[in-house]
Amino acid sequence: MRVYLRYAFKETTGNLWRNRMMTIAAVLTVAVSLSLVGSALLLKQSAAQASAQWQQGTRVTVWMEPTASQNEISSVQSQLADLPIVKSCVFYTQAQDYKEAVKLLPQDESTVLKPYEVPSSFRCIPTVPSNAFVVQSTFSSQPGVYSVTAPEQQIREMNRAIRIIQIVFLALAGVLLLSATVLILNTIRMAIFSRRREVSVMKLVGATNWFIRIPYITEGFIQGLLGSVVAILAVTALHTWYPLHNEFQLNTSALLGTNAVVLIVGVVIGSVGSAIAIRRFLDV
Amino acid sequence: MIRFENVSKTYKNGTPALKNITLDIEKGEFVFLVGASGSGKTTFLRLLLREELPDQGRILEAGRDIGELPKWRVPYLRRNIGCVFQDFRLLPNKSVFENVAFALEVIGRPRSTVDSQVPQILELVGLTDKSRNLPGELSGGEQQRVAVARAFVNRPLILLADEPTGNLDPANSESIMALLERINRTGTTVVMATHDKALVDRMRRRVVELDRGEMIRDQVRGVYGIDEGVLL
Repeated sequence: MRVYLRYAFKETTGNLWRNRMMTIAAVLTVAVSLSLVGSALLLKQSAAQASAQWQQGTRVTVWMEPTASQNEISSVQSQLADLPIVKSCVFYTQAQDYKEAVKLLPQDESTVLKPYEVPSSFRCIPTVPSNAFVVQSTFSSQPGVYSVTAPEQQIREMNRAIRIIQIVFLALAGVLLLSATVLILNTIRMAIFSRRREVSVMKLVGATNWFIRIPYITEGFIQGLLGSVVAILAVTALHTWYPLHNEFQLNTSALLGTNAVVLIVGVVIGSVGSAIAIRRFLDV
Repeated sequence: MIRFENVSKTYKNGTPALKNITLDIEKGEFVFLVGASGSGKTTFLRLLLREELPDQGRILEAGRDIGELPKWRVPYLRRNIGCVFQDFRLLPNKSVFENVAFALEVIGRPRSTVDSQVPQILELVGLTDKSRNLPGELSGGEQQRVAVARAFVNRPLILLADEPTGNLDPANSESIMALLERINRTGTTVVMATHDKALVDRMRRRVVELDRGEMIRDQVRGVYGIDEGVLL
């Protein structure tokens, strides 16, 4: 066993060194494609986490016309109270909304704003976030209502954008992973080709098939492993040095999970590439 | 030791390589396999190594039908068969010692076995003082002796030689034959395919002659051609 381990180690490192340019190409391709996979996974998790946080606080705001009559306001109020999908509503008077507006708006705008120009509003929390749309469609055409706003829509649009980016990342990563597999396959094939005399002698004197195969499988495995280690460093660096908005920030376990996926995919690609090379080019 | 029972082999392109061969080779025998190119000598040896399987018939080695051997057992079969070829098949970037040691290393023999067996076998073939040389620095005859050493270092039961003297001058052929005889005297069965008429005639060993896949002669103390045999 010890003899074999030494032999396999010598063969594997020798092959990697002899074909070092191909090895570097294969490792880098694995690294780039797995970095994309890792980033896509992180992005997906961040987006899910952020939208979950936003949806917790989803509110629907029914803005009344500044000129709305008391009747119209109380009609909307009673309808909101009767609606089963609305958990609770708080009425903000014009004076309260004015105070809020002064706080939110830049000074030059807030100074020209008069309290009677500001709409009063109902700040409502729906029972489930998606009901925000029902409130929106029910009340936006009511007399005295200026507009109904819900942040849900922005969340959806952002999620769609993130999904598109993610699909693009994964598609690119898929193509790159395929080319990484082919590159690994090719380096192994070259290694086998450069050692074909040894292989034929080994077969002749009765070396077992696995004895002949294992150094080549190890070679592909190591290329995949090196590639995924580089990708893990890249993903971790991205995560650490370029933190997104707080709500996107993932905890360490999510990062570890992503890195585990990256590592497994890298190792699998290396092994699959070399396995194909062995099946096709190593006739043992 | 070796038994062919009604063995036939036809290659995929339709050329018959061996037709209905039945043959027994005892342990410790020395057999010449003669015949023109394409007569089936090489197929005979490839069948013994189980590089090919017969289409019909059975081949037994040491009492076992090698056709029934599962694929993963084939390497273990080959450990009992040494092989020497016309083109030596040495590894050019390994020294003489390493070439012979390689045969033991790749079947997982420990370092201690390698260190004791290789010098011994190099002594037998008379290349002790060239053990550090590369094959390219040796003469053809010396290279073939390295190949014989590699084939025999694992003490196989059978030694197959496919035209081992085909690339050598008469003097070197002579020394290879002397070596094969010595190996044969240790009880190893030797099967040698050859074209070398003078050699076969002088050795007076069993001769099996093939012609277009058919066995046309099996003579206990034979010579290369029948006509010459009659003349003698």
